[in-house]
Amino acid sequence: MRAVSIVLRKDLRVLGRSPLLLGALLAYPIVIALLVGLIAGYASSKPRVAFVDEDHLPQVVSVGGRRFHLQAVIDDVAKQVTLVRMSPKDAARELSQGKVVATITVPRGFLGNLETMASSPSLVLRTGSGGLAPRVTQQMQSLVYQLNQKLQAGYIAANLRFVDLILHGGPGSFLGRHFDLLGLDGTQRELAKLPPSKRVAVIRHFVEVARVGLAQTGTALRATANPITLTQPKTHGRTWVLSAQVQAYGIALTVTFLALLLAAGAAAAEKDEGTIGRLRRGLVSFGQIVWAKSALAAVVGLGLGAAIAIVFGLVVEIGGVNGGEPWARLPLLFVGVTLVGGVVGAVGVLLGALAREARTASLLAVLVVLPVVFLGLVPRGAFALAYWVSLFLPFAHAVTWFGAALYDTSPWRTLAVETLWLVGIGLVFGLLARGALRRLAA
Amino acid sequence: MSEPLVRALQVARRYGDIEALAPTDLELFEGETVALVGPNGAGKSTLLAIAAGALEPSQGTVESQARVGWVPQRPAHYARLSARENLELFARLEGVPDAAGAATRLLERFALPAEARPSGDLSVGNRQRLNVALSLLGDPRVLLLDEPTASLDPGQRRRVWEVVDALRGDGGAICFATQNVEEVGERADRVVVLQDGRVVFAGPASGFAAVEQDVFG
Repeated sequence: MRAVSIVLRKDLRVLGRSPLLLGALLAYPIVIALLVGLIAGYASSKPRVAFVDEDHLPQVVSVGGRRFHLQAVIDDVAKQVTLVRMSPKDAARELSQGKVVATITVPRGFLGNLETMASSPSLVLRTGSGGLAPRVTQQMQSLVYQLNQKLQAGYIAANLRFVDLILHGGPGSFLGRHFDLLGLDGTQRELAKLPPSKRVAVIRHFVEVARVGLAQTGTALRATANPITLTQPKTHGRTWVLSAQVQAYGIALTVTFLALLLAAGAAAAEKDEGTIGRLRRGLVSFGQIVWAKSALAAVVGLGLGAAIAIVFGLVVEIGGVNGGEPWARLPLLFVGVTLVGGVVGAVGVLLGALAREARTASLLAVLVVLPVVFLGLVPRGAFALAYWVSLFLPFAHAVTWFGAALYDTSPWRTLAVETLWLVGIGLVFGLLARGALRRLAA
Repeated sequence: MSEPLVRALQVARRYGDIEALAPTDLELFEGETVALVGPNGAGKSTLLAIAAGALEPSQGTVESQARVGWVPQRPAHYARLSARENLELFARLEGVPDAAGAATRLLERFALPAEARPSGDLSVGNRQRLNVALSLLGDPRVLLLDEPTASLDPGQRRRVWEVVDALRGDGGAICFATQNVEEVGERADRVVVLQDGRVVFAGPASGFAAVEQDVFG
């Protein structure tokens, strides 16, 4: 342990003496965190949507005798997206230029259809090809769903007025035509004035049944208008927002990349400087060299991970991103980045020992890190072999570890499983690295 | 004769099909200086590295009765650390109780710069002297030197030999590899001549003259 600590301190001091590398290490997490923060901020920001009103909607509209405040509905939508009123021409131009994510158009005749209920009025949604377009589509679908729920009460009331007319009779109008109805009540009264007969009895029976049946129409209409309603019980815990995924991937990618590069370079440098011969003369064993370089990667990984998490947190706090930074979970994240840094460090030592020379080791590490990362991104269903290979590499486990540590309500089981995987992977690569160092020293 | 301080028995080293060193014996006794002589690629460095424990032999064993210091042919220290930092680092790894004190003494003894300049920026001569100084950490009784004076000027060479001779005077043993025939005559008690990984002569320094022509042509 003492030898490991001495070599680790030496490596950190050497690292501190490399101004370019040190500068890159300091700048890297800040740049990554800013980018990740901006992506997360963009992903959770209000999309800008053009609102084209070709029908000149009034603030209030009457449907089925009920008054609807259209402006209130528009204000509701504006909580999810930034609605910008513009002309059809401007809206089309801004959509093509990507200045708005979508355009929502109220076509001519919309209000007439809405008020007369002659046919279903339509809103026209056009979306661009940006990453937020699917979200806007979902929000607009949700808007139409909510609007329909509000309107249907008016429509039902209007329909019930016609049923009421049929039941009780009286003056009415439809599509501008005015009329006066006898109604079932009037029919029953007229039937009572006729001499009793078998045919009158049949008609009277029909009127009685129709009156009872139509009296139930209100309940039936409401039930058939909402055969299934979706209710979502409120849950406690953190939301798995896009920013969490981006942050987990950002930290895993950075720690994997830099830990691999550093450990590979540090291991190969012992050969370059001729010091591995001195060290192995009973001063430091090959196993201790692996531990020391892995510890270097772990320490640097911790520094980078912490810096990214903190800078990212500040960015999302300032940007008011939905979900925000789970500050209380950061200590858990730091444990993870230390573990992942160490495990990736063992892989790096193996690469450095195989490369036998620092520059080759750095190049090899860069070449290896990309497939390692991409394998970790392949879903199981997409390519089973890639998934199985990624199971035996640290990246995918690192992402799961960080994601669970940051946002899972109950992360302990996931963390335990992923820790076991990472420790196992670290031990296997550590043993391979020790063997490769033996060859390096020969 | 007393027990040897270092005994290498039938040590050999192969790299795949290439035999860098055929099975070879080497013994170093108290108070003697042994020269390993031979052309490039003869196996001198390999034999010294195996005796120093810096290289694992493909076969054979090495037994040491005393602490062994090793001066590799190429300076082996951390270029971004200063001479003092290198000395202190290896002193700690050697388990020297007062690492800073030991570093100061060696810096003075070898007239090495004490400032914090990275050792990679030192002159070739200074780097080689640092290389020798590092081998003296832990006060070894046996010193194995691989062409220690190859890159030194006459004054630096003399200073290195003064330190090495002092160690021998204290009952230590010296074994050095060289291609400098003059040094063999001046320094060595015994000579081991290697050619193509095999010992072709082992005997008193006085007998070296007879094989010198065969070895170096």
